[in-house]
Formats: sequence, structure tokens, C-alpha cells
Amino acid sequence: MQALHLRDARFRYKGSTAWALDGVSLDVEKGEFVTILGANGSGKSTICLMSNGLVPHALPGDLEGTAEVFGLDVRSHPVTELATKVGIIFQEPESQLFCMSVEEEVAFGPENLAVPSDEIRERVEWALELVGMEGYNDRSPFSLSGGQKQRVAIAAALSMRPDMLVLDEPAYALDPVGRVELYQVLKGLKEHHGMTVLLAECDSEEAAKYSDKVALMKDGRVISYGKPRDVLGDPERLRALGVTPPQVSEVSALLKERLEGADFSFISVDEAERAINEKFTNRKRGREQ
Amino acid sequence: MTGFIDLYTEAGTFLHRTDPRVKIVAVATLSLLALIMSNLVNLLVLAAVMVVLILFGRASFKKTMLAFSYVFRVMALIVVLWPLFNPGGTPVLFDLWPIKITEPGILAGIATAVRIFCLAAAWYLLMFTTSQRDLVRGLVKMGLRFDFGLSLAMSLRFLPTFSAIVESIKEAQRARGLELDKGNFRKRAKDYVAVLVPTVITALKMADTLSLALQSRAYGARADRTYVRELKMRAGDYVALFIAVAVFAIPATVKYIFSVPL
Ligand SMILES: Nc1ncnc2c1ncn2[C@@H]1O[C@H](COP(=O)(O)OP(=O)(O)OP(=O)(O)O)[C@@H](O)[C@H]1O
Ligand SMILES: [Mg+2]
Repeated sequence: MQALHLRDARFRYKGSTAWALDGVSLDVEKGEFVTILGANGSGKSTICLMSNGLVPHALPGDLEGTAEVFGLDVRSHPVTELATKVGIIFQEPESQLFCMSVEEEVAFGPENLAVPSDEIRERVEWALELVGMEGYNDRSPFSLSGGQKQRVAIAAALSMRPDMLVLDEPAYALDPVGRVELYQVLKGLKEHHGMTVLLAECDSEEAAKYSDKVALMKDGRVISYGKPRDVLGDPERLRALGVTPPQVSEVSALLKERLEGADFSFISVDEAERAINEKFTNRKRGREQ
Repeated sequence: MTGFIDLYTEAGTFLHRTDPRVKIVAVATLSLLALIMSNLVNLLVLAAVMVVLILFGRASFKKTMLAFSYVFRVMALIVVLWPLFNPGGTPVLFDLWPIKITEPGILAGIATAVRIFCLAAAWYLLMFTTSQRDLVRGLVKMGLRFDFGLSLAMSLRFLPTFSAIVESIKEAQRARGLELDKGNFRKRAKDYVAVLVPTVITALKMADTLSLALQSRAYGARADRTYVRELKMRAGDYVALFIAVAVFAIPATVKYIFSVPL
């Protein structure tokens, strides 16, 4: 059983003639960190919204094909049920935090599920610690920085004890420091708590660094899906799809073009260092001989 | 919108610790008490008690002054205008048609101003010493429907967000050369449309996300919802509740059963 299982899924928002998802097949295994990359309007958000049933329950439309979350068909299970399996975090930090204090924010989910107060308090402390926001209980969400808001939003999802987190362009409004902190939190959740993470992004920098797998989307379809180095190697192709390529992959492409015999294809700084070192030490050795 | 401030000041006084429900009851009884009293001396005593309570509540001086600056203006207006419009009784102090001023008129004006002070002070005392969160929680526990309480809490929570949005939109429109607050009324009103439209659109977009966020956190999943912090009445709260009720019940009995004017 996969965390997310889409097979030839098609979805058309009510009142619209075009298919937002036009035959998507995508499997996210439990414990994986998967990033969906694609241009504006390619269908990333629709997949995110489908993962906890907001599509098609809150945002109705025609849904065809297979769409299952932990083996549950999203059509026949309400959002309130799927919400205990999948926690969702949206792009805009301000409008998803609606309580007057961080504590109430994180407690809101379990309160709705009628969890006893003592246990809610434990969960709040646990969740705030996981996202590095312990001690902020009485602060107003409004007074926090963008990155802190997103981490509180993650804690608010975690307190419902989900098995998967889905984040729709969560770093969009964040500064570089906020981005790094956010991704570190997600990495920790995956590595130490076996959390399944599904992310939508326009920029592939972090996707290359943190994901187990990357899905490239175009016009409501997944056009390639696999390890980051297999999918993100070609910066020209990424740009054509409206995705910002990882910075080092541009260096890699440049070297490939300018240096004869160099067959570079790296997508992370570590890889780049290794490849370049190897190349130049080989050359030097060649000359010395 | 920028005029909104949260009057609450964090402190650990007995007024802060008292259950919000008791404080809401106390505001009601103190207000009623101010309304049934008409004798100036009695009202002054009540006003003095309110001042002492506010001092006990350790509200920030700045917030207190800001809050009462409006009240003082209204009081001044009443003291001046009341005798002019209610020139009843004797002795007459001043009579030059069409203006007639009598001593009872002046005293009644002052009494009304003091009564307004007492009413305002009772409400401010609640706002100074109760966080918005406790206030909403208290109202919900007193029987306000949870979804109404949540709406109230959310409107309080989003006030600063919206003033920030309005400010940033104003800034953006100014950067495009729009001169707000210049020209005649018609021009100004027209210029503000350029701020209003993007604000409303932003607000509607936020409301969409908000509704999705609420559902994603299982809002409305069960009727027997729990609360992370339950309100519990402690011994001190019962004492405070008793005093709050007595403060109104005793004078009311004296006035309406024994017909003693207050
Ligand atoms: N509520 C809606 N009603 C009708 N059509 C919608 C709705 N939301 C999205 N769409 C359409 O569905 C398609 C896919 O949109 P989606 O939001 O999933 O794309 P996205 O990849 O998340 O884009 P972005 O990068 O802009 O967030 C688009 O053509 C969009 O116009
Ligand atoms: Mg989107």
C-alpha cells in the first residue's frame, strides 16, 4: 500500500472545461520524500489538494481514474477522516493560521477530533519541539516571521499525528534562512520519524538536495519521475518546463559545453566537487606522464 | 484600521487570574449598578472603586490613557450640554433667553458623566485584564456557539493582518504615483477605490485558503469537541462571583424593595 497512489487520474474543476489533471500516474511510497516540480498551472496544487480529499470534496469537479491515499479512495472518504492521515500546509503562511496563539493553533486539530486535553497538551509540546518552536505557545501567530509561521503550520498538522505531510510551495514567501530552516525540519521528520513528505515547488534547488524522487509535471501530466539526478540533469529542459534548475547543474552544463571530453552531469555541490576533482587530477596525471 | 489596539496587558494580578466568565458577570453587574444609581455621591464612590480596581489591574499607562481619552471627551461634552438641554428645577443660576441653567441641571450632567465613566471603566477593566483568547473562551463556555466564538476569535486575530495588507497596498499604489489624502472629497473617495479593490480581492483569496485550512484540520469532525485548556472555577472565582452578584443585588434590593433612592 502506497502513501499516495494515482493511476490515470483526471480531474476537472467544476465550471471549467480543461482538465487540471489529465491522466496523472504517481506513486509515493511510505517514508519517501517526493517533490513535484512544474510550471504555473501544471497541476501541482491540484495533486496536493487531492491528497487529503479537499479535491473533490471542498473543491468539487469531475474525478476519474484511481486516487488513493493510504489505500483509501479520496472520493468515498471525507476530508475530516483523511486529515488524520495527511497534514497539508499551504503556500501563504498568513491565511492558514487563524488562532490567537500558537498553542491554540497547534491544538486546533486534535481538539476537533475530541482528543482529551492532557493528551493535546503533550502533542502540542511534542509538535512544537519537532519544528523548533518550543516556548512560543503564547505568541500570536501574527507576530512570527514567515518561516516561523510555516513551521507552526507544520506543527499544527503534526499534532493530528498524520503519516504524510503535503506542502504546496511552502517556501514561496520565505527568505533564504527561512527556507533552509523549513527544509531542515522536513528532512528531520523524514529521517527520524519516518514521515512521508510530498512537496510542490517551482524551484528545483531544494528538490535536488532533499528529495528521494522528483516528479516533473506539464499540462496536468507527470512527464518524468525518478531520482533527482536522473530527472534534473538537463537545465535547458527544466527551464523549458518553467522550473528553475539547480544552480550547480548550470555549472555542469557549462563545463560540458566548454571542456572537451568532460561528461559532467551533477546536481549537488558535493557531486560537483567530486566530479571536478577527479577530472582535473586525472588530467594533471596525464600531463605528468 | 490602524487605530485598533489590543488593550490587554500581561500581568499576574488577581484580576488576571479570575475566571473570564466571572469577569463578564462582574462587568454586567457593575454596569447595571451604575445605571440604577443617580445620586452623584454614590456614583463618585463607585467611580473611585473602579479607579482602584484599574490600578490593581496594572494596565499599561499608555493604553489606559488612550482608552479613556475618548471617554473623557464624551464626559466633557455631557457636562457642558446636559444643563443646557435639561434646565429643570431650582435654584436657577443663569437665565437669559434662550439659555437657562439650573443647579439640578448641572448636577445631573455631572452625575451622567460619572455614570458613563463607570460603565466604560467596567468594560475596560475586562479588556485590560483578560486576553482576547480568554474572553472568547469564556463566552463559548457561557453558551456562545463554538462556531460563533471561532468567528469572533478569527476577526480579532485577523485585524492586524488586514491593517498590514491595507498599508502595503497603499504603499504599492503610492509607488505607482497615486496621491492619497490629497484633493477634494470626491477625488479622495475615488483614489481610495484603488486601495479598496485589491484589499477586498486579497481578503477573499485569504478566506478561500482559510476555509481549506479549517477543513484540513478536521474542523467540525465531531460534536463533542475538546479544548486544550479547560476553564475551571476555583474557590477564589466563586468568592469573586458572589461579590460580583452581591454588588448589584444588595443595592437593587435597597432601591426597589425598600424604596431608598440611590
Ligand atoms: N478552484 C479552481 N477552479 C477552476 N480551475 C482551477 C481551480 N484551481 C486551479 N484551477 C486550474 O487548474 C489548473 C491546474 O492548477 P493548479 O493550481 O493545480 O496548478 P499549479 O501547478 O499548482 O500552479 P501554480 O504554480 O500557479 O500554483 C490550472 O489551469 C488552473 O487554472
Ligand atoms: Mg499551486
